[in-house]
Amino acid sequence: MAEKVGCFVCTGCKIGDAVDIEQVLSVANESGAVVAKSHEALCSKEGLDLIKSEIESNELGGVIIAACSQRDHVDTFRLPNVFVHRANMREQMAWTQPPQEEDTQMLAEDIIRMGFGKLQFTDIPQPEDVEVHNRILVVGGGVTGMSAALNAADAGKEVVIVEKEGELGGFANKLHKIFPKDLDLAAYPEPDVDALKEKVSGNDKITVEFNTTVASIAGAPAKFQVELKNGSGQKTINADSVVVAAGWKPYDATKLSHLGYGKPNVVTNVEFEQMAKDGKIARPSDGKEPESVLFVQCAGSRDDDHLPYCSNICCGATLKQITYLKDLNPEIAAYVVYKDIRAPGHYEEVYRQVQKQNAVMIKGEIEAVEEGDDGKLNVQATDVLMNEPVFVETDMVVLATGMVPTTLEEDVLNLAYRQGPELPEREYGFPNSHFVCFPYETQRTAIYAAGAVRMPMDLATCIDDAAGAAAKAVQSINLIEQGLAIHPRVGDASLPDFNLSRCTQCKRCTEECPFGALNEDEKGTPQPNPTRCRRCGVCMGACPERIVEFPDYNIQMISQQIKNMFVPDEFEEKPRVVCMVCENDAMAAIDMAAKNGLKLNPFVRIIPLRCLGSFNIIWVADALSNGIDGVLLLGCKSGDDYQCHFIKGSELCETRMGNVQDTLDRLMLESERLRLEHVAITDYKKIPEIFDSFLERLEELGPNPYKD
Amino acid sequence: MSEEPKVPIPELGGAVVETGGETLYQCMQCGLCTASCPWRLVEGDISRDFNTRKVQHMAMLGVEGYETEDILFACTTCGVCVERCPRECNPIDNMRVLRAMIGESGSVPQAYRPVIGSLNSNGNPWQGEAKDRTAWTKDMDVPSFGEDTEYLLFVCCTSCYDSRSKKIARAVASLLNKAGVSWGIIGEEEQCCGEAVRKVGSEETFMTLAEHNIKIFGEKGVKKIITTSPHCLYSFRNEYPELGGEFEVLHYTQLMDKLIEEGKLKPTKDFAKKVIFHDPCYLGRHNEVYEAPRNVIDSLPKAERVEMDRFGPDSICCGGGGGRIWMETPPGARFGDLRVSDAVAKKADVLATACPYCTIMIDASNMAMGKEEMEVLDIAEMLDQVT
Ligand code: SF4
Ligand code: SF4
Ligand code: SF4
Repeated sequence: MAEKVGCFVCTGCKIGDAVDIEQVLSVANESGAVVAKSHEALCSKEGLDLIKSEIESNELGGVIIAACSQRDHVDTFRLPNVFVHRANMREQMAWTQPPQEEDTQMLAEDIIRMGFGKLQFTDIPQPEDVEVHNRILVVGGGVTGMSAALNAADAGKEVVIVEKEGELGGFANKLHKIFPKDLDLAAYPEPDVDALKEKVSGNDKITVEFNTTVASIAGAPAKFQVELKNGSGQKTINADSVVVAAGWKPYDATKLSHLGYGKPNVVTNVEFEQMAKDGKIARPSDGKEPESVLFVQCAGSRDDDHLPYCSNICCGATLKQITYLKDLNPEIAAYVVYKDIRAPGHYEEVYRQVQKQNAVMIKGEIEAVEEGDDGKLNVQATDVLMNEPVFVETDMVVLATGMVPTTLEEDVLNLAYRQGPELPEREYGFPNSHFVCFPYETQRTAIYAAGAVRMPMDLATCIDDAAGAAAKAVQSINLIEQGLAIHPRVGDASLPDFNLSRCTQCKRCTEECPFGALNEDEKGTPQPNPTRCRRCGVCMGACPERIVEFPDYNIQMISQQIKNMFVPDEFEEKPRVVCMVCENDAMAAIDMAAKNGLKLNPFVRIIPLRCLGSFNIIWVADALSNGIDGVLLLGCKSGDDYQCHFIKGSELCETRMGNVQDTLDRLMLESERLRLEHVAITDYKKIPEIFDSFLERLEELGPNPYKD
Repeated sequence: MSEEPKVPIPELGGAVVETGGETLYQCMQCGLCTASCPWRLVEGDISRDFNTRKVQHMAMLGVEGYETEDILFACTTCGVCVERCPRECNPIDNMRVLRAMIGESGSVPQAYRPVIGSLNSNGNPWQGEAKDRTAWTKDMDVPSFGEDTEYLLFVCCTSCYDSRSKKIARAVASLLNKAGVSWGIIGEEEQCCGEAVRKVGSEETFMTLAEHNIKIFGEKGVKKIITTSPHCLYSFRNEYPELGGEFEVLHYTQLMDKLIEEGKLKPTKDFAKKVIFHDPCYLGRHNEVYEAPRNVIDSLPKAERVEMDRFGPDSICCGGGGGRIWMETPPGARFGDLRVSDAVAKKADVLATACPYCTIMIDASNMAMGKEEMEVLDIAEMLDQVT
């Protein structure tokens, strides 16, 4: 806690017009400010000079900068060796309230009081340097793994590639052609697998362990102990971060008997590729060159009984394979039965070119694939473009099966983590934890997924993907070395501190930490692994004993903000609501509302949380006993299509809410005094309505009976 | 859905590609052609049954079911679909080839038999005798094309034989005289350009006509041609060169525009009317002539020019192209009605066009709809009146 606190109120950006600044300064003085001053633009050089000189002359340990949102001027107000609290007088007050009103003044004063409450329980986090090895483990030596390794080596890191086969190249080794030839697609690079292999073997920063798998990974980022296993035994290496480039497996076609798999002349696209590579495109039943081949798209894909998703590459693969046929003999008839042809980007051109080779496209569904005379297959399908059934007699059927991440079928990491040995599976079983916003991130810190293990993709995309994941792996080492968080609180120096002498071994934190940062000893006592931690505060929200705290983020700090609010007796005119908002999205939405000129209810007091997952139910008790009429929580969307930056935070908060609401009901307190809403940044227009409707409901419920 | 499955025969689709339907397999079945087709703007069986996209698809599969008059022969070759197709397909070419295949199998629609017969025996589709080809010149000073003549005026068969249409030929001839252009006609020896009969699928008749004309033009030393019809313009410009007939071809509106600009033609009398211009498909979309006819209208003193709701590349067909001029189209399904309604809504006094087919089709609609207070005129007629 800072002994001496200074308070600086900006009067720019309309703040000065909105309220009586002298009054605000006197509240700061009453709250214990050593110095309280206003300035017309704190963000200007003069403003900053003022703050700095007051810090020096008064030996301030903490400052309250009552100005714009903490999301604005982040670097401007980063001051060394003092604890800085950004009290939001602009977005939460000046821009969203009518000027010179009593309620506006009260709000401004509360914002100051709450800041002082916070400073009573915060300290500047002191990061500790971590020793690193500057070594990255790459699991998988395919095109993705090789590309990631080369990128990381270029950035000066050592790389160990673990490849389970006896050669590099992965699935690309099985491909006949990487891309249909004779296309004028000069801008599109052709990945040359051999060239990649040469570069990797010639790079002295890269070691390749062939015929090897990962037996186990113990420890934490920068302290990973990786046990490697091969025919001749085990060995241990150290690594700081990991790129998982374990690739994909074709969907198991034996489950596709309804499409004819199992009949001799029905093959998968992978089997067909092999035929082409061997130079033997022939009917398996008799080795004859086919006169016709029918390709079945989405074979088991976009099908709820098999793979519900689109694998992205199968349409392209079929188009490519048609060129094999036409190259062999242009007279071979090629039929394609498809749901949609998905030919993104340059594949549109491939689609055109292949169509011009007279591919017969039938949009519809396969009804039956049966064996006919003379080794032929009789295919019945519907054609939605004519709304009629069609019948094709063909020599071969090729099933365009989809991609399944290797990690779904094999353990590739064997992590010694309390929460399980592999990367948690997110949507459709892929380990990608933030599909849209943060590619490569998995639910394990400093372990990044790249290539087809992350989501279905083609080779060219794999190469790009590898570069991205490698960059993350490199960046993670550099941040860890300084004791800083990697993602999404990049550069955060704080770490949770567990007062274990009071731990009851309830295991809530070890279970709930979304990132598996906490291991357990035999008794169930949490064992923190600081470099795995993302500083979300979920453990702090989970702990019923309230023994988890960060130097700059903890239970008392929030409790004290609630307690510092001035709660008038007259509910009719002045109800009070505490609104705890997720700093990542909801807080931004409020700022956006302000920037767009929307007006907000004056009775709401906003407290940012690192994540709703850090919400501790004690705060509800604090609020209600302080006479506050309701508690509103704004967080990110939970569920399968979650937007929570910490993956499970808002979901966990919902569960906890349910528990508190039960308790409230038992205490004969209306559980509706507690409400949780999901908002995305783009929902900023809804904020005023969310506030107002909550206050309307509170009005119906009447004042908090604990109000004195 | 019918019970009996259709069996694709890719060889048939391949045959379409080889005989001129090159873009057949390029189609991605988006349906933009069907949605853009003017048949969607009218009612009736054809509108319901004729689906451009589906014809492409069935042809590609090589299955049957689209060969009827109401489907395969519905297309007026207006070119909207060609203009809009995102895959640069040419459904007109594809359907032309399909029509030709049907023709080869002997099942030409009844309505086209006399037309093809007349073209083969008389060199025109209108049952007129070849010697009457110049009947429109009666009492006019019309020079014959000779060694020193600069322009051949090629008059569309329709304007040679149809009494309404003859006026267009006469107006063009009169203007050429007024401007002092060196021009002449060949007359009896020339034959139909063959554009429409080719669209109907009679490739053989087209070839005979085209080869005949190219030979005659060559013998007479023709270098520059003025056409009265945009259809002849299309054929001479786009189809004859492949057969060895290279000429500089202009639609008369293009020449008139030039002559007015050069001051060789001087419209002096007032044409104080509100004029709305209908872009003929073959002048606009097929030959991309949009400015010249408008410039000519704008040169008419006191004329006020307005545009239809759909004009330029979006113009709606009159219904007479692709051989449809010889087919009976039931009331309610005539595209000409759409043009008349549009012009009437804009309170036009004159619906102007520059194609003999458009004049016939739109005039017929105008009369059937009882809107005679609005005149349907060819631009040549208007210009000749005031020059
Ligand atoms: S702060 Fe978050 S990541 Fe770190 S231990 Fe706690 S719950 Fe886990
Ligand atoms: S617009 Fe072109 S691509 Fe689309 S269905 Fe018609 S012909 Fe095919
Ligand atoms: S050319 Fe005109 S009439 Fe023929 S299909 Fe295309 S849009 Fe329809």
